[in-house]
Amino acid sequence: MPPPSRRWVSPARSSDCAGVAIAPPAFPQIDERIAADDGGALEFCSTCAFSQACTAQGMDKRGLRDLHVLVDHVGPFQAGDHIFREGDRFDAIAAVRAGSVKTYVIDRGGREHVLGFYLPGEVIGLDAIDDDSFTCNAVALDTVTLCRFSFPKISMLAARLPGLQQHLFRLLSRDIGRAALLAGDFTADERMAAFLIGLSRRLAARGFSPDRFHLTMARTDIANYLRLAPETVSRVLKHFQDDGVVCVDRREVELLDRARLEALAAAALRDLSPGRRDGKPAL
Amino acid sequence: MSSPLPFNADLLRRYDRPGPRYTSYPTAPQFSKDFGETQFREAVLASNGDPIPRRLSLYVHVPFCLDPCFYCGCNRIITRDKGRAETYLARLYREIDLTAALFDRDREVIQLHFGGGTPNFLSPAQLREIVDTLRRQFHFSDSRERDISIELDPRFISPADVIELAGIGFNRASLGVQDFDPQVQEAVNRIQGVEETRAVIDACRAGGFKSVNVDLIYGLPKQNVEGFARTLDTVVEMRPDRLAVYGYAHLPTLFKAQNQIEAADLPTPQAKLALLQLAIEKLTVAGYVYVGMDHFALPEDELARAQAHGGLHRNFMGYTTHADSDLIGLGVSAISHIGDTFSQNPRDLAVWQQAIDEGRLPVARGMRLNGDDQLRADLIQRLMCQGEVLISALEQRYGIEFETYFAKALERLRPLVADGLVGIEPGRITVSPRGRLLLRNIAMCFDRYFDHAAAVTSLGFSRAI
Repeated sequence: MPPPSRRWVSPARSSDCAGVAIAPPAFPQIDERIAADDGGALEFCSTCAFSQACTAQGMDKRGLRDLHVLVDHVGPFQAGDHIFREGDRFDAIAAVRAGSVKTYVIDRGGREHVLGFYLPGEVIGLDAIDDDSFTCNAVALDTVTLCRFSFPKISMLAARLPGLQQHLFRLLSRDIGRAALLAGDFTADERMAAFLIGLSRRLAARGFSPDRFHLTMARTDIANYLRLAPETVSRVLKHFQDDGVVCVDRREVELLDRARLEALAAAALRDLSPGRRDGKPAL
Repeated sequence: MSSPLPFNADLLRRYDRPGPRYTSYPTAPQFSKDFGETQFREAVLASNGDPIPRRLSLYVHVPFCLDPCFYCGCNRIITRDKGRAETYLARLYREIDLTAALFDRDREVIQLHFGGGTPNFLSPAQLREIVDTLRRQFHFSDSRERDISIELDPRFISPADVIELAGIGFNRASLGVQDFDPQVQEAVNRIQGVEETRAVIDACRAGGFKSVNVDLIYGLPKQNVEGFARTLDTVVEMRPDRLAVYGYAHLPTLFKAQNQIEAADLPTPQAKLALLQLAIEKLTVAGYVYVGMDHFALPEDELARAQAHGGLHRNFMGYTTHADSDLIGLGVSAISHIGDTFSQNPRDLAVWQQAIDEGRLPVARGMRLNGDDQLRADLIQRLMCQGEVLISALEQRYGIEFETYFAKALERLRPLVADGLVGIEPGRITVSPRGRLLLRNIAMCFDRYFDHAAAVTSLGFSRAI
């Protein structure tokens, strides 16, 4: 089987000369036309988690600044760096601008439980709202940059902007749904299919390729998250590959038979009214 | 790539210049001391984290030889003291312990190769102990394609020993012959009889080995067409499944043993080319297929079949049918290839031993390939194995605009195109039949590290022919 094609984040523009290296692969694989940008004085970052809610309210970035809701760009965090740890004081929520983040808790027996993976445009730390402190750990899986929003300020703003409040609620409920996803009695194939389809839809919602992406999380993280043994993760993917459903080359994954994956994932994802392709799956 | 192999002496003479053999890209001289044990551990960890971790190939280096062959450029230790094997093995087992612990247990070993030096400096019992240790520490595949191979010096192994190796699980062997011509054998200090060689090959067959390879060398001192013709006839009659015909590179400043060779005894460049031409003609007539880079195989051999359907790969052990696996090198000077890294153990026995005695992984140097390295490695691999590069495949995979990105390489390639070694058509670069003997010259054009200006005078590499 031919290896899947891959795209680097920023295709090297020139040249044959020594010293020019292609950028290392990052997650997700970004088509240059839709690469996340830093926004501008009057535009939101293309992956901003809030841009939709705010623009819908006629609130542009300048408007936000007038309200002294300062958005800090923080990072970069390198792979393995912690963004916050359980018990850290909570005063801001953060949206992923670039890269990907894993959240997890450690149980009393010292075992790690992976709670989820967060992609550009998604918000981490929502579960801390109730507590004033973070209830889990968040670690960068690759090079990560974030937008930090002061939570008290965004709450105040939300009180004045019903659309923003609604958006916050939606983010919250999505997060809860995600955590509950894999509690059901699903086969390994179904879990893996749900994982891949879930990732694919979330990437698609942010304008990334839905069929070809790079997994930044280690096999053990996927296994932990899906409540499978690491060997099972590989075994299932191998048999998906042998059946022509996916193609896996190192961390690159290409979805070749979406229909079959969707069918397998249906039970675990519990959605699949055909209209619902808006990037708000349960995963 | 299975058309007849044309021979053009004038062309070969003009392109006879030093260059790497590209068993890896970048080549070993690019490895850096900045890459050590820590980076090696990180690389293994990352490779374990792939959704489908690659299978494993193991290489065990046995550095000892009983006698020095004067042409040899390998890292080896000449000794008659068999006791040295035991102290070496004690460290090797410690290295296996340290290394195996890093790899996830479900990663299957698909290939184990013993090289040297002379692996059969070790007794069959010692080789059995190594294989058993590795089987305990790693998960060996049950698949039929799992190979255990060994380089054998036929002068120091009996047919009974070969049968014992088969019982251990060895199923491929590579035998050094070089030349049966007695005056050549004397000049290179390697006296080896036809009958003892034949007996070892027969024993491999009787033991059920899947393939036997024979190594020949052209360009050795005192070598001539008559003697080499007899050698080729004799070897062809033994019918090894695979044959390697290497050009001798006389680099006495780099390889001490070669100082024993009288430069005056070496064939002239013309005579050397005549030897190569002879080998190609005789092997072609005998039905061997040219696989690429000095290697021939019978058409029904896996290597030739893999080449025909595009399943050929190349690594430090030469051509192989095993698709990308992570390679773990064990023993002094051994090279590993894990994920997008290369690394090498110390070339000095004492340094290697000391690291292990201190409980450290003996990684002396290495490198992590950047995106550019990976792209070029991929391209060179395609040239060497498929004889063809599909431009769109590389553009898509690496997000480049080929013509812009490789503007300089394409410029360097232009004279080779003019000489008919390689064709540039829309969408593809194809090695033409005349270029197949000059693969490394074609690959060199794409080597970012190769000093193209200094190439003509460089002593660092063996010559292309």
